[in-house]
Amino acid sequence: MDKIYKSIISALIFATDEPIKANELIKAIKAIDGEDIAVSVQEVETAVEELNEIYEQTEQPFRIRRIAEGFIYATDAGYANYIGYLSSESSRRRLSQAAVETLSIIAYKQPITKPEVETIRGVNSDYIINTLLEKNLITIKGRADSMGRPLLYGTTDEFLMYFGLNRITDLPKPREIEEIMKDEDFLEQKRQIMLNQMEEVAENEGGLNEDESEN
Amino acid sequence: MSIYKIKLQQFEGPLDLLLFFIKRDEIDIYDIPISKITKDFFDYLNIIKQLDLEIAGDFILMASTLMQIKVKMLLPREIDEKGEEIDPRDELVKALLEYKRYKEMSEELVLLESDTMKLNFRGYNKEDPKENPPEFDTLLKNITIFDLIKAFRTVLEEKKSEPVHKINKINVSIEEQVNFLMSKVADGTPVLFINLIRDMKEKIRIIVTFIAMLELVKMGRIGIKESESFNDFIIYSAEING
Repeated sequence: MDKIYKSIISALIFATDEPIKANELIKAIKAIDGEDIAVSVQEVETAVEELNEIYEQTEQPFRIRRIAEGFIYATDAGYANYIGYLSSESSRRRLSQAAVETLSIIAYKQPITKPEVETIRGVNSDYIINTLLEKNLITIKGRADSMGRPLLYGTTDEFLMYFGLNRITDLPKPREIEEIMKDEDFLEQKRQIMLNQMEEVAENEGGLNEDESEN
Repeated sequence: MSIYKIKLQQFEGPLDLLLFFIKRDEIDIYDIPISKITKDFFDYLNIIKQLDLEIAGDFILMASTLMQIKVKMLLPREIDEKGEEIDPRDELVKALLEYKRYKEMSEELVLLESDTMKLNFRGYNKEDPKENPPEFDTLLKNITIFDLIKAFRTVLEEKKSEPVHKINKINVSIEEQVNFLMSKVADGTPVLFINLIRDMKEKIRIIVTFIAMLELVKMGRIGIKESESFNDFIIYSAEING
C-alpha cells in the first residue's frame, strides 16, 4: 500500500472522537479516490501497526488503540497524572464495587435478565442496573422467552471503551469453580494489588487519613 | 478508659458476608459448619440493628435460608434419584461459588478499569454531556429507550396542574323573589320589569326572578302587560288592580 494511505488512515482516525472501524476507513478512501483502489482490512491493520512503530521510534506520547473493533488515538499511561490534573473530577470517578460486580455478571452471561443477575448476587439490583443503563455501559438487548418476558441486558461499545477492550471476548476468562477452590492465594494477590492502588490514590489526595491515625 | 471501635465492613450482600466468614475462619466451603456460620450471621445482623441501620430484605431472606438448612441438617437426609443423600447445604455452596466466581471477575475488571483510566482517548476528555447539553443534532445521538422514559417521567413531574374554576353558590330562591316582586307592586303602582332587574349582578338572580314572576302570573297574583318600550313589560298587582 502507498505511503500516502498510511497518512490518510492516520488523519481519519485522528479526526474522529469515537473508535472508527477499518471498513469505515476503507469506505472513506474509496469514496474519494475511486472504487478501484485496493485497500483491505488487513492492510489497514498493518498500516496502523506501522504507524504505532513510528510513534514508538520517535517517542510520541500517543498510540492508536484498538477499542470496540475500531481505532482511536490515546495518550500513553505515563501521562495520565498530567492530563488528569486538567480534566474534570467527575469523568475520573471509578465505578462502585456493586457496579463492577453487576457489570461482570452481565458481561460474562449476556444476554441476561435482572432476576438472573439478582440470583447470582443475592441482592436486589434495581438501582444498580438503572445506574449502569444511565451510564450507557449496558443496554436492553431484547426480551427473554421465559415467563413475564423479562428484559435482557448486555454490554455496549461504551463498556468496551471504558475497560479498554477490542472485543467482549477479550475479557479475561472466568475460572472454573474447581479452580477457584484450589488456590486462595490468587484472590489474595489481587487484593494486594488493589490495596496498593488505593494507597497510591490516598497519597495523591494528601495526608488526611494519616493525620487521623496519628491522633 | 477504653474506647470501643466498631469497624463495619461494607458487604455487597449476604453472599458477600458469608464468603467473608468462610475466608476469615479458613472454612472448607464444601463442609460449612452451618450452626456456627448462622450464629455469626445473626451476630452481624444484631450489630446492624444496634447501629440503628436498616437491615435489607436480602439479609433476612438469607437468615431464614440458613435456619432452614440448620433444621434440615438435623433431619434424616433426603435421597435423590440416584439414591445418594442430598446435602441441605448443596444449593448454598453452589450459590456461594457462583458468586465468588463473578466477584473475582469484578476484581479483574477493576484492574482493567484503572489501566484504561490512565489512557486518555482523543476527544474523550470533554465534560459530561448530560450536565452541559450540546447541539440538538448531537443530543439525538445514542438515545436509548431508557433516555426517553426518563425524559417522559421528568415531563410528567413538571406538568402544570390543571386550571380550577371556582363556582360560588348564589343563595337565591323563587320564594324570595316572589316576596321581592310582591313588595314592589304592593302599593298598586305598575313597575317595569327591566327596572326591577337593573341592579341585579348575577345572571341566576335575574333568571330566578323571571321564573318567580311567571309563577305569580300563573297563580293570578300579578298581571303583566306589554310596555310601550320595546322588549319590556309592565308588572302590576292583580290583587289590588284586578
